[in-house]
Amino acid sequence: MTVFGASLRYEFHMQVRKRSVWIVPALILVLFVLIGGSLLRDLFDPRERAADPRTAVVALAVQIFGLLAIGFGGLLADRFVRDDRLRVAPILDATPASPGARLLGKYLGTGAATAIPIAVAYFGFATAYAVDAGAPAALGWALAAFAAVFVPGLLFVAAFALAVPMVMPAPLFRVLFVGYWLWGNVVSPDIMPTLARTLIHPLGGYPLAALFDFHGIDGQDTWAGPIPGATLNFLRPDPTPALAWLSIALLLILAAAALAGGQALRARRLR
Amino acid sequence: MRPLTLWRYEIRRTGWTALLGPPIAVALGIAAALANPQPGDTTTARILLGALEMAIPLAAGVSCASLIGRDPAVEIQLTSPTAYRVTLVRRMAVTLGWTAAVAMLMAGVLIVTGWWDRWPASHGPVAGQLTWLAPTLGLSGLGFAAGAVLRSPGGAGALVTSVWAIQQFFAGSAQENLPGRLLYLFATTRGAVPGDWTANRLTLLGAAAVLIALALVVVGRSERLIDGEDE
Repeated sequence: MTVFGASLRYEFHMQVRKRSVWIVPALILVLFVLIGGSLLRDLFDPRERAADPRTAVVALAVQIFGLLAIGFGGLLADRFVRDDRLRVAPILDATPASPGARLLGKYLGTGAATAIPIAVAYFGFATAYAVDAGAPAALGWALAAFAAVFVPGLLFVAAFALAVPMVMPAPLFRVLFVGYWLWGNVVSPDIMPTLARTLIHPLGGYPLAALFDFHGIDGQDTWAGPIPGATLNFLRPDPTPALAWLSIALLLILAAAALAGGQALRARRLR
Repeated sequence: MRPLTLWRYEIRRTGWTALLGPPIAVALGIAAALANPQPGDTTTARILLGALEMAIPLAAGVSCASLIGRDPAVEIQLTSPTAYRVTLVRRMAVTLGWTAAVAMLMAGVLIVTGWWDRWPASHGPVAGQLTWLAPTLGLSGLGFAAGAVLRSPGGAGALVTSVWAIQQFFAGSAQENLPGRLLYLFATTRGAVPGDWTANRLTLLGAAAVLIALALVVVGRSERLIDGEDE
């Protein structure tokens, strides 16, 4: 436990002081305001915004999370392989600290530090909206969306960002990750086989549909469930709250499997 | 050092991402074209050209974002008679040269097999090469400049992938005004105004030149490279 705590604290502090952890999300938000800004402007326009504060902050969650998770994954990609590259891993291995506890501390510490700018951005916009619209309930919904959509999704991304660079260079992971993010979250299942709208959907289609009753800003889109004629429809049952929790659990199980795989690969290489 | 030995060394230092990225991009593009169930050759041709315009430039951009901050003993590089930025330009040339070879091979195959002309906005076999060249140089310039300023391959790579993704997510609103259209990376396959295509490609090339020049100026201040590297 102390190993886990120490590793978590150290990794958190190391990552949260990295300039790029703050600069990259800030630049992306500036670009988002410049390019996709109409969505943000609508949030502060009484004639354009969703009538319901829940829909407004959940839509904001989809945009902020969908966009900033890409940089989140990219920034974390070198964290696990870094110890080997800097040749400190053998020294750490020689200590009595268990590698599993160190990895878990690294995972949660770097993940939490890299998620802070994302949380600041999301709660910043959500608070501004709550004040502007006079809807304090929006903050409660924002907290719920953060817990049910951001946290499982970011834990999923962070696990793969740490583990996959064990088998390929970190930059190649960044390239493939953004391709995956687009393919597995946004691509419509009738264009090609995709994990979008399935239970394994890190953008949180099932929680969005079943826990937040979110169907797009205009109420027309659903982000989970079957599409006639699409492949992999067996992974797309009709959304229910129980399936939303199952989807979250699946993401966490896959994250744990990825971390265990990364750890096993590293242990095998040491032998 | 003989030039051949030197270039062989630089190819190795450039890394696997630069080598594997473009062929993987082509393979994924072809897989997406094969998986496309929509009838008609136009959509398939669009996906194939999309691999050239979207996937290959992304791989090159992230590779160029990873050039700075990987040398284990940059202090030694800085004391050698060859300026470090010359070394970096060589590695960028390796990355872009290999990317161009893969892209031209794919473009050649598409032209010979007739797929090139099946996308109406392909702009012919010669000028049409700007389909991949402009976004490749644009994203590579951005990656190289971000790498020079942030000194962190992670940060620079994250920036390149996010800029690429934001232009995918907001293809429509990114092109609502002229500056957005001129800097849009995917004007061949997702462009809003066909008349802007040439201006868009030239603007991207100009932006790439400015960003690469900026990166070279920043890297020229060698004390920045050893002062608290952003690992």
